[in-house]
Amino acid sequence: MDESNDNEIARLLRLKRYEQPPPGYFENFLHEFHRRQRDELLRQPLWRICLERAHNFMLQLDGRSLASYPTAVAAVLVCAAIFSLKVYQQPETARVATQSPLTLSAPMNAEQEWNLASPVARQIFRTQPVRSFHESTQTHRAAPPRYVLDSVPVSYEPTFRF
Amino acid sequence: MSLLSGSKRRAIVAFVLIFCSGVGLLFAQDQSATAISHQVRDIFDRAAKAVVKIYGIDEHSPICGTGFFVDPTGTLYTAYTVGGEAGNFTVEFNGRKYPARQLVADIRSGTAILKVDETTPALPIGKSEELEVATPVISIGYPLDLPKTPNFGMIAGFDRKCLGRYFSTIHLRVNAPTQRGEAGAPLLNLKGEVVGIVVSGLENNSACYAVPIEAAEKIRGDFVRFGEARHGWIGVNNVSPASEQVDGSRAMVTQVVEDAPAARSGLKEGDVLLQVGKKKITEPEDVFDASFYITAGDTVPITVMRGNQKMTFQVQATMHPASRTGVLLASPGTIPGAIPMSLDDDEPPSP
Repeated sequence: MDESNDNEIARLLRLKRYEQPPPGYFENFLHEFHRRQRDELLRQPLWRICLERAHNFMLQLDGRSLASYPTAVAAVLVCAAIFSLKVYQQPETARVATQSPLTLSAPMNAEQEWNLASPVARQIFRTQPVRSFHESTQTHRAAPPRYVLDSVPVSYEPTFRF
Repeated sequence: MSLLSGSKRRAIVAFVLIFCSGVGLLFAQDQSATAISHQVRDIFDRAAKAVVKIYGIDEHSPICGTGFFVDPTGTLYTAYTVGGEAGNFTVEFNGRKYPARQLVADIRSGTAILKVDETTPALPIGKSEELEVATPVISIGYPLDLPKTPNFGMIAGFDRKCLGRYFSTIHLRVNAPTQRGEAGAPLLNLKGEVVGIVVSGLENNSACYAVPIEAAEKIRGDFVRFGEARHGWIGVNNVSPASEQVDGSRAMVTQVVEDAPAARSGLKEGDVLLQVGKKKITEPEDVFDASFYITAGDTVPITVMRGNQKMTFQVQATMHPASRTGVLLASPGTIPGAIPMSLDDDEPPSP
């Protein structure tokens, strides 16, 4: 049995010796190989493909690169926190300054609201008295007290008249 | 047998006597300085509790000055510059702040009266007439934002004018240092009685001016009687120095307003004033202080020399033209001889 098999194999090999691949076979061999490989891969479910790719990706990473990710994330978070603190914790004066134009431009009453005058001109016209009132009030409260002692008495008699 | 000759012995005795007297003088001076220090401290301890810090707001800024209570119902005196033209008064004493209101503001005297609705300590009222030049006095005030502070000094003069400006009443010039914030401080004699109100500094604040307490009391008296300060006017338009002294006075009336109280009472041009009310007149400038104490509506005795004859006229004073309140003194029917004069008029009737 073994001897017959050997003979059979020898006969096939002799036949193969005369067998030639089609023209361009070796040129397309690599391309064909990749195509068949992809076909093999696509026959698997999608989740398995993702899992395998992720697994391969993780295996390619070394320890240093893995450790650098949390550091980078932490640095980004700290920067974001500092930025947000600077943006949202502005001083009160800045808020007042941004709000005051709204207050100044608000109409005094309904009639003025429907005034046909240019809104820009109207705003300028109203701004002065309102601002001066607020400024004087704030100045009064904020100003330090004046400690009183005049340099001359206020009592004054202009003529010899009584 | 003596070791020293007579002349040497006398020299040694003289030296010892001089040394002992010098030491004694120094010791006495030290004792008197200590006594004055104790006296000042004693007065400060007694009087300081009635001295208050006054806060207010005038048209420019918040102000801060000094005042003091003169009765236990919360009436307090201060300077016109503190309590005259400001509002929203707050008075600080005993470590607390109380709201206060203005009762009177009198620019003519330079004083103002405020009121706190509390039971308060009060300073006794003295007599500035008893003061003399070099009389020691004490003021207690609030300099700047510092706690109440005693200032010790002496009366330097009784001035009727300064830098060419006549005062309405005699002002006490006090050689005591004052600082900003001490306007309205009480001026006390060494008995602890109020004899004046500090109204201004002088030059570099090494001295100050104080209004005599009688002037402030006059204003308070007017307020109690009439609800306002009522400066009187009798209608003498000019007083000039006479060519020669008559009975100790050189103040001659040179212009009397026609149909004014003085003219109606018989006062004439050429009369030499001797006394107006309780004040003796010796010079024309004396009429300022004398006329300050005239109250509108009161009868004022005026003594003059006309020729060789001394005469006294009873003159019914009307409201002073410089008074600011727009109130008629009285109708002509209620006060004989009074001129129906609105206080809105700036000038008295011309002669």
